[in-house]
Formats: sequence, C-alpha cells, structure tokens
Amino acid sequence: MIEPLKALIIFGIVTTLLAIIFLPKYGLYSRWKRNRRGMKRVLVEDALKHIFDCEYKNIFCTTESIAGSLLISTDEAAELLTRLSTMGLLVTLDNGVKLTAEGRSYALRIIRVHRLWERYLADETSVPPTEWHSSAELAEHKLTTAEAEALAAQIGNPNFDPHGDPIPTPSGEIPPKKGHSLLSLNSGEFADITHIEDEPEAVYAQLIAQGLYVGMQVMMIERSNERVRFAADGEEIVLAPLLTNNLTVAPITEEEHRITSPLESLASLKIGEEAKVLSISKAMRGQQRRRLMDLGVIPGTTIRAEMKSASGDPTAYNIKGALVALRQQHANMIFVQK
Amino acid sequence: MKTTNKESILSAANTLRWEIGEHIHDSLVESIYADANQIASRAVTVPTEKPRFNFDKRLDKLITSRWFGFPLMFLLLAIVFWLTVEGANVPSAMIATFLVDTIHPWLKGLFTMVGSPWWLTGLLVDGVWLAMAWVISVMLPPMAIFFPLFTLLEDFGYLPRVAFNMDSLFRKAGAHGKQSLSMTMGFGCNAAGVVATRIIDSPRERLIAIITNNFSLCNGRWPTQILIASIFFGALVPAHLAGFVTAGAVVGVAMLGIFFTLVVSWGLSKTVLKGEASAFSLELPPYRPPQLWQTLYTSLIDRTAIVLWRAIIFAAPAGAVIWLVSNIHIGELSVAEHFINWSNPFGILLGINGVILLAYIIAIPANEIVIPTVLMLTVISTKLTGVGDGAGVMFELDEATAVADVLRAGGWTFLTGLNLMLFSLLHNPCSTTIYTIYKETKSVKWTTVATVIPTVMGLVICFLVAQVWRLITF
Repeated sequence: MIEPLKALIIFGIVTTLLAIIFLPKYGLYSRWKRNRRGMKRVLVEDALKHIFDCEYKNIFCTTESIAGSLLISTDEAAELLTRLSTMGLLVTLDNGVKLTAEGRSYALRIIRVHRLWERYLADETSVPPTEWHSSAELAEHKLTTAEAEALAAQIGNPNFDPHGDPIPTPSGEIPPKKGHSLLSLNSGEFADITHIEDEPEAVYAQLIAQGLYVGMQVMMIERSNERVRFAADGEEIVLAPLLTNNLTVAPITEEEHRITSPLESLASLKIGEEAKVLSISKAMRGQQRRRLMDLGVIPGTTIRAEMKSASGDPTAYNIKGALVALRQQHANMIFVQK
Repeated sequence: MKTTNKESILSAANTLRWEIGEHIHDSLVESIYADANQIASRAVTVPTEKPRFNFDKRLDKLITSRWFGFPLMFLLLAIVFWLTVEGANVPSAMIATFLVDTIHPWLKGLFTMVGSPWWLTGLLVDGVWLAMAWVISVMLPPMAIFFPLFTLLEDFGYLPRVAFNMDSLFRKAGAHGKQSLSMTMGFGCNAAGVVATRIIDSPRERLIAIITNNFSLCNGRWPTQILIASIFFGALVPAHLAGFVTAGAVVGVAMLGIFFTLVVSWGLSKTVLKGEASAFSLELPPYRPPQLWQTLYTSLIDRTAIVLWRAIIFAAPAGAVIWLVSNIHIGELSVAEHFINWSNPFGILLGINGVILLAYIIAIPANEIVIPTVLMLTVISTKLTGVGDGAGVMFELDEATAVADVLRAGGWTFLTGLNLMLFSLLHNPCSTTIYTIYKETKSVKWTTVATVIPTVMGLVICFLVAQVWRLITF
C-alpha cells in the first residue's frame, strides 16, 4: 500500500496539472483554442470588418489601426492589405484604403453573422452581456450563411443587435449611421439610448455595470470636462466624459413620455399594495421577458403584492387573478405607478 | 405604373424597417392583450371581484410565515419519511419471505424436476430471479407509500408553497425553488426525481436539478446506510446509544447529500450551464381538497409502476451477470475473484476494497442489490464456509451482527464502513436513473455529465478520507 502522505502529494500534483491544462480562460487548452484564431481566413475577415467599420463611421483606416485592432505587427498588417487587394476586396487610395463592392458585401456578411449571434445570445441564453462580443467574434468565422439564416429565422429576423447596431439584411442593406453622442445633449434635454459601443471591453463592462441598456431614457443634468451627470430612467448617474463617448442617443420630443422622477419598481410594493404596470425594463430580455408578458405583465395591468416567502424573497403577486411568485431581481425590472 | 408602385412600396418598407426599432415583438404582444381586453370588456360581465378566499389567505400566512414556515415543512417531511420507513418494513419483509424464501426454492425444485442443467438453473433462478425478487421487495413498498403521500401534498397545494419558501436558498445556488421538490422526490427514487424535474419550466435550472438529483439518497441506498452505520458507528458506543448514533450517521450522510446538491448546482450554474436560457416564475395554485383515488391511481401507475418496471428490466440481466462472474472460472479462480484480486490494491487506496468496487460495477442496475452482492462476493473471495448459499447466489442475513461477522472476516474496518457509506452516496446513478436522464434530456452529453460528476467526486472524496484517516490513526 502507498503511504498516505505520498498518496496525498501525488494527488495534489495531478490535480494541479489538470488545473493548469483545463482551467477555463487561463488553462493551456483554452489558450491553445484562442491562439488558433490567428488563422489566415480569420485575419482576412477581421480586417474587412475593421475597414468597413471605419468607412461606416467616416474615419480613415490606416495600416497601424488595422494592426492595432487585430493585434498583429504593422508589417503583417501591410502584408494582409496586399493580400486583400490581390483578392480584389479593396483598392488603395492616396489617403487610405477603400473596400470594393465585393469586399463590402463580404464584410457585411460577417457583420450580419456577428450581430445575429449577439442578438441570439441576448434573447435565447443567459450569457452575460460582457461576453456577447467575444463569443460573436468566434461565431462569425464559424457559422455558414445557411446556418446564420436558420438562426435568424429562429429568433424572428431581428433588425438590431442588443447594442443597438443595425443588423445588415441578407442582401447587404444597412441604414446610414444616426444618432449623437450623449455629450451633445444640453442640460434638461431628454433622449433615448440607441447604441452602446461594445469595444473596448473594459469601458463596455463599466457601462453595463452602471445598469445602462439600449432603450433606456436619459436626461442630461450637467456636463463639464471632468464629469457628466445625467438621469437614466430617473436615477442619477455620474460618468467620466471618456466613457460617455460610447453612448449614442436619439433625442425625444414627445412631452408625455418623459420620465422625470425615479421610476418605482414592482419590488417596492408593500404587502397588500396595488400598482399599475408602466413598463418592463428593456434590460430584461428573452425567455424571462416573454414569460412575464405571457403571464399578463404588460402596461396597464394592475398587480397586487400578496405575500412574502418565509425567507423574504420571492414575493407572490396577484396578476390577473392568479398568484404568481417573482424574484426580487425580476420585480426590480418591472416599473409601476402606485 | 404598376412596377414603379411596387418598387416604391418596397423601398419605403426598406427604410421603415430601421424605424420600427428592436422591440416590435413587445408592441405586438401589448396590442394583442389590449385588443383582447377590449373584446372581453364588451362581451364578458364580471361579478364584483371576489378577494382571495379567507381560508387560503390564512393558511398561506401560516405556511409562509417567518417563524412557522420552515419548522412546519420539516415536521411534515419527517412525518412522510417516518411513515414510509416504518410502513414499508412489514410489507418488505413479507414480499422478501414470499419471493426469496418460498418461490425461490420452489422454482429451483421445478427446474431440477424438469431436468434442467445446473448452470441454467443457476443463471435463471439464482441469478435473474433473485435479483428481480430483491429489487421488488426493497423498492416496491417504500415507493408505494412515499409517492402517494407526496402526491397528496402536491395536490393539496402545499408543495408549491415549499418551493416558494425554499427558493431563496436555491436561488443562491443558481437553481430553482422547485428543485427542493424534485430533490425530495429523489429521496424516494432518483429516477422518479429526474422525471419530477418536469415541473421546472426553465431550461437551465431543470438541467441542474436533473444532474444533481443523484445526490439525494434514494430508498435503495437507505437500507445500506442503516445497516453499515449500525455495524460500524453503532458499535462505537454503548448499546443504549447505538440506535441514536446510527440514525445520526445516516442523517449526516443524507445532509451531506443535500450540501453536495447545492454546491454542485452552484458550480454547474457558474460554469458549464452558464449560458443556458433561464426564466423564473412560480405559480401558487389555490388550495384544493386532494382527490384521494385519483392520487392513488396516478402515483401508483405513473410513478411507482413505471419506475419499478424499468428497475426490473435492468435488474434481470444484472442478476445473470452476477451469477456468471462468480461461476465462470479461469484457471483456479472465478472471474469475480480475479477482478477482486486485481482491483483490491486500488480499492484499498480508496479506503474500500475490491469486493465493493466489483459490487458497484455489477450492481449498477439497482442500489438495492449492492449489499446482497457484497455479502456473496465476500464469502466466495474469503472462502468462508457455513454462510450463504453458494457462488453467485445473493443473500442477506437477518441479524446485523451476523453481517458484521462476515464483513470483518472480509477485512473490513471502520474506515471501510465509513467510505462505503460515502461511496454509496457519491457514485454513478443506477442504470434506471441514467436511462431516465437520457430520456428526459435527450442528450448524451448531459447524461454523461450526470454520471461522471458523482463518480469522480466519490472516488476523490473516498481517497482523501482514507489518506487523512490513515495519517491520523497512525
């Protein structure tokens, strides 16, 4: 029989080795998987996407910016551009590069798959928002056109991705860029968030952590060079101006839709109190949103809080005559008027 | 003229496509509800709205109260378990006497009379028939008591309130409150527990409940736990405390199972199941007087009979395998003894032994036959005489002390007993449950996960306990 101490040491070594190899994110196996992204086709497609993005935003693309966005050296980027132009996907002009019609349609196909996948993740899975983009970066190179179309049909042919970007149609149509930066609003002006840029990842994660989402209503309170103060769905938020650059908004004009004070949520009801549903936060998506709407949680429905569970959460609500328990995290996202 | 008209409509549609925004589906649902409301308000007259019945309200207040909610739940569950254990003893013994002590010799006589060769008699009567007899006698009575009681509580409307009260705990583990029900059902039978997860209407939480159901100690494992605990834990203390310590050890193992259920649920929801879709809502139906006869029928036919039938189907070939491995000889020794000798060092490393390893491999169809198999294998591998009925014939002994003598002769120590109890809690689900998991998930991947996770946990934990135990006692 092996001595117990020796056995324990061997066990410890084996466990550590397995962890080093298979640990999610940091393990050798997942690193190897990530490194395979350096393949040629992936680079070509990522470069096309980057150039298209520049053209869409009316800025100039350079060899350096391509190298920076693809995490390759400038020499490799230059070589890549030559490859693209011999493939007939782009032409070189004096002040930069321009996609040919063929290159543009290739880029749009990749973008369509990317955004469809993000929409799918947002609506049909529980993958957290900060991981949508990186997952789509992988999926866009893997899915075939037929698979992408099947996915689009399955999720109801959406027009926008969850960040508010339009999804190109199968024939490659995409509307011109619209909306303004949040910084363009004057104090007291109201607007809807139409787009939250998902790159760089760290900035996006910070915006998501603030509870911002596409479709949220904002009102500018004050802005200075150091900070921007604004109300989002009535709650005050303070951000650095750099962060607000990632937010695109569209002003709203109709007076009656303006949210002037913080919204009350269903979770704020005391037992026995009644309230009318105003809206379900757009941050609640997919199955959970559909489930609530199926149960009759729609604007105008009157809901009464009936009782709390013995452990305090969830709470049971009377919705259209049925007793339905909802968790606090979900009740927080249903806005009501008492 | 016509074509330009069509083109202009198409181009208008194309521009408008980007104007309608991303929440067109919401607006559709809202307008459907609004229309339905309008139609209903014109066509339906509602008598002045009744508040929820007073009785319902009062009962809900008591059941979900901060102070009485949980004690009441534990009390009711304790009563259900007590009724099951106590009520099943007598019929179990009666069925065992009938199938094993009466029918078995009679069948053997019948086979000999018609001149069947000894190996056919052994294979069919000692192997197949005994395995089936054991599964039926251990499995049927507790299930026939537990399931109807459970269904009555469900019908009355109490169980949804349990899920309501327990949700907070399960939410923290990334699971659904209704998992408390499928978990409790698992204490009766894991296969039935897996089927019971159908009440969980959120895909991710349902998978979690299915994969972790095996951590509920099922009624096929309770007798093993009680027997081994009374031999190895009960013997540690004076006789008048033995019963108390035995019960404590068994309840401890069951609690450990609940602990693992929560921990593994949490781990699954944070890793492999992170991306699965999830939605929570829990309907609390009004209280209803339970329908006694219908309950009896559905719980006996839908739950008990189906599960029992599956178990018998799986047990029959296992009985044949058990008989064959003990009776086919290669050289001097039987296949079973070869395997036991070969796997013994590994078993010892895990704090158990080769007999237990082999018993868990060949008794995979039903946990009920593990102890009879262990006893039979111990007898043939140690060449004990005067106990048991021969190679490949599973048996049980009436007295725990007699079992203890056989096991000690097989080289069992306190560590072996402790680790057997742990391994009985943490090992692959029985084949009936594995098959049920596959039927419910339709996925080889999740079935494999549900099988491999508890097995690996069992091996690792037994190994660690054995090493630490040896370090302490040396």
